Amino acid sequence: MTEATITPAMLSTAEVARAYREAKAKRAKKAALLKHVFLIITSLIMIYPLLWMLASSLKPDNQIFGDLGLWPREFQWQNYWAGWNALPVSFTTFFWNSTVVTVLSVIGNVISCSFAAYAFARLEFSGKTIWFALMMMTLMIPYHVVLIPQYLLFLNLGWVDTYLPLIVPRFLAGDAFFIFLMIQFFRQLPRELDEAAMIDGCSPFKIYWAIIMPLSLPAMATAAIFSFIWTWEDFLGPLVYLNDMEDYTVPLALRSFISSDGVSQYGPMFAMSILSILPIILFFVIFQRLIIRGIAMSGLK
Amino acid sequence: MHKFLRRNFAGYAFLSPWLIGFFLLAIGPILASLYLSFTKYNVVRPPQWIGLDNYFYMFQMDQRFWKALQVTFQFVVISVPLKLMFALGVAMALDKGIRAIGWYRALFYLPSILGGSIAVAILWRQLFNYDGVINSILRLFGGDGPYWLSDPKYSLWTLIVLAIWQFGSPMLIFLAGLRAIPQELYEAAEIDAAGPVRKFFAITVPLLAPVIFFNLVLQMIEAFKSFSGAFIISGGTGAPLDSLLFFTVYLYNEAFAFLRMGYASALAWVLLLIIALFTAIAFWTSKYWVHYENERG
Amino acid sequence: MAAVTLSEVRKSYGQVPIIHGIDLAVNSGEFLVLVGPSGCGKSTLLRMIAGLEEITDGTIAIGDRIVNDLPASQRNLSMVFQSYALYPHMSVRKNLAFGLVNLRMPREEIDRRVAEAARILRIEELLERKPRQLSGGQKQRVAIGRAIVREPQLFLFDEPLSNLDAELRVQMRVELASLYNRLGTTMIYVTHDQVEAMTMATRIVVLNKGRIEQVGTPYELYNAPANLFVATFIGSPKMNVLAATAAGGKVDVAGLGTLPLPSEKQAEGKISIGVRPEQVTIGAGELTIEGTITLVEYLGSEVFLYVRVASGDTLLVQAPGQSQYKIHDPITLGIDSKEAHYFNGEGLRVG
Repeated sequence: MTEATITPAMLSTAEVARAYREAKAKRAKKAALLKHVFLIITSLIMIYPLLWMLASSLKPDNQIFGDLGLWPREFQWQNYWAGWNALPVSFTTFFWNSTVVTVLSVIGNVISCSFAAYAFARLEFSGKTIWFALMMMTLMIPYHVVLIPQYLLFLNLGWVDTYLPLIVPRFLAGDAFFIFLMIQFFRQLPRELDEAAMIDGCSPFKIYWAIIMPLSLPAMATAAIFSFIWTWEDFLGPLVYLNDMEDYTVPLALRSFISSDGVSQYGPMFAMSILSILPIILFFVIFQRLIIRGIAMSGLK
Repeated sequence: MHKFLRRNFAGYAFLSPWLIGFFLLAIGPILASLYLSFTKYNVVRPPQWIGLDNYFYMFQMDQRFWKALQVTFQFVVISVPLKLMFALGVAMALDKGIRAIGWYRALFYLPSILGGSIAVAILWRQLFNYDGVINSILRLFGGDGPYWLSDPKYSLWTLIVLAIWQFGSPMLIFLAGLRAIPQELYEAAEIDAAGPVRKFFAITVPLLAPVIFFNLVLQMIEAFKSFSGAFIISGGTGAPLDSLLFFTVYLYNEAFAFLRMGYASALAWVLLLIIALFTAIAFWTSKYWVHYENERG
Repeated sequence: MAAVTLSEVRKSYGQVPIIHGIDLAVNSGEFLVLVGPSGCGKSTLLRMIAGLEEITDGTIAIGDRIVNDLPASQRNLSMVFQSYALYPHMSVRKNLAFGLVNLRMPREEIDRRVAEAARILRIEELLERKPRQLSGGQKQRVAIGRAIVREPQLFLFDEPLSNLDAELRVQMRVELASLYNRLGTTMIYVTHDQVEAMTMATRIVVLNKGRIEQVGTPYELYNAPANLFVATFIGSPKMNVLAATAAGGKVDVAGLGTLPLPSEKQAEGKISIGVRPEQVTIGAGELTIEGTITLVEYLGSEVFLYVRVASGDTLLVQAPGQSQYKIHDPITLGIDSKEAHYFNGEGLRVG
């Protein structure tokens, strides 16, 4: 039925209305379907590489290449065991190393950056504007410019081949992004809270500890999560400062897979790769909303 | 003095970790790096002042330097616009209140989080292997894939695809920006006989311009700093034939493989200046196409 | 042929019905106002006519063409939004020209129309400015200008004056009225302000909770309201309503006394009596009521007296501006049976 054949004179209003409504609903459904198909296909393409890696981690090596299928014909769980012990040092050590470095870094980041953010957002002190401008400018410094002098500094301190160059900077609020994130959050807390506490005789330290910090848990959590993800995946830092395989973090260990072994053992390699990103995926799944909100909040000043 | 201390104590107390870090890890190293760029330094012996020699060598004689610049430029110029187009396209598809938007958003964003990891770089290396997944798919359609990893003509595309795969992050920002455009403007345009294409170019794009600009600058800077992917896929050297010699990879090699710290510092400064230059250009051109809502006059 | 015809139009959001079966014929060339309290569905109705909202049931026809699935861009109408909806990144000139450019009109024609609209609305000096540089009233005129240049067959206004301050609102009302007189195009106007409705409309549609209460000219609505809702909604200050009982041709008004029931009106049992403030006489009348003044509102041209009477009701009475009344003074009021409005037990007009 087209509109041309329907006139009010021919049919009752209800019938006419129903005809229009059904035609429109049909068109809307088709459009929605197309859109969903597009989105589903795109998201499958996006996810496929990860799924393929997961599947390949369970296949014997000769079935990996060229095989597009996502379901292994036989589940070769041994890949995980083999990969775990494939390198001269077992992955237990690597995961432990990564955990230590990451956890300490996260703690350092959250504490020192929230201190700095509190100072910028809530406290008055002379020179504040200048320091703030300088802090924002550090956001634009590429790591590579400071990498070499920092390396030389740590070399002279004897800190190379330890975790100190990776952890200590985190306790010195080295990542301005988190300071910025928390400042945005602190700004949303009403100043009256601070003022009421001040009238009650609280020192700035008390105010931070008892009021600002508890109320900022979402911001701190967001910072902690991003810090966790970025530190866990960090490659250049460990690459430069860790030379002893015993000290390697997981990303460095993974790289050894391809450099030392050359070509063989893909199954075990993928198995370890899967395990290495598992914590990140887990964090992502659990804290998804916080993460996405954190991105949006930092993106739109 | 006393009064100064009293008034500012709390502020500086809380700021002290950052202050220490700022001087020790930011300002100090930046100045040191500048100094080193004028020296010849291999760590074993003290730095030797050589004036502008590093820079002369870099610009006049170092072929690898120009190659690294070229590769990095190519990467930035191709991957960033493509990434943003995907991000905007998918954001617009998600914007119309789809029910499962939470799922899609998460699914599209996940690669952004994982994209910088070594695991993904390793995966990518295998995907683009001559017998790997990508070529298998191409063969399904009757084509034949090239030697992605060993053919200098094609190798950069592996990293470009990796970059585009991570469009989720700018996509989220585009989503937020799209939400900020009042629905009424589209309704008024609808009544003004504007079709979907016209609505996109006359309303969406101009009003999204600040967000596009933000994403553009951010992604551009990220692209210039890209390291892990190129390092892993090229085996750390920029192979094959320096076709993956990202500037950051070149810098790393000069500093830590050849221990030419002075030269590497000069390279680092050139990188800094290039990023600053491009950012400045972006800001300067933004005058012509980015209009902010709350400007006066 | 009516300009717009609505037949059994319904609207629901999911399972929640908002509009329950509206039948309405908009005559060509009239200024029709949809008025009602917030939530009554007037804006929704307007947007359905515009094509911005889905029609859940019923048909809407513009001219002799049913437009249920005709997109808004093809309905040849213009709309002025409450928040103006000017394109913030375009100059005023480009805002005005936008619709015409979309219709692929020749350049000279566009320029001519833009200049003409700018002249009528006196916004010629503003043509190169951006919306953020304009005041509220100027923005409103640009929004109207954008509607005029299209020379549509139908104008829609969605509470266009609500965002303006009181003085500007009065000014714009006059401008809109003169615009209507000049153009003569059919206009459908939505507002919650009954003063706007009364002053501008050729016909008014009073809506309440998704239903039409009454359709009529301002005169009809004021002098012959069809029910209690319309009676108390139209007219400011509000009509006085008293509970009453009718028996055998006589009406006992709230225990204050009786009025004869006019012969053409038939009523029995519990009813309501309505008297507008200006219909209450000061001094004795057919029904005389004694009361005490509890509040005096002096407006210059008239005075409004709040009078408490024996039944506990407070009557609002209009007195001439020069009169001197004081709070706590006793006062005698009179009600005439032929002036009063009678409403039956369901609130419907009697006779």
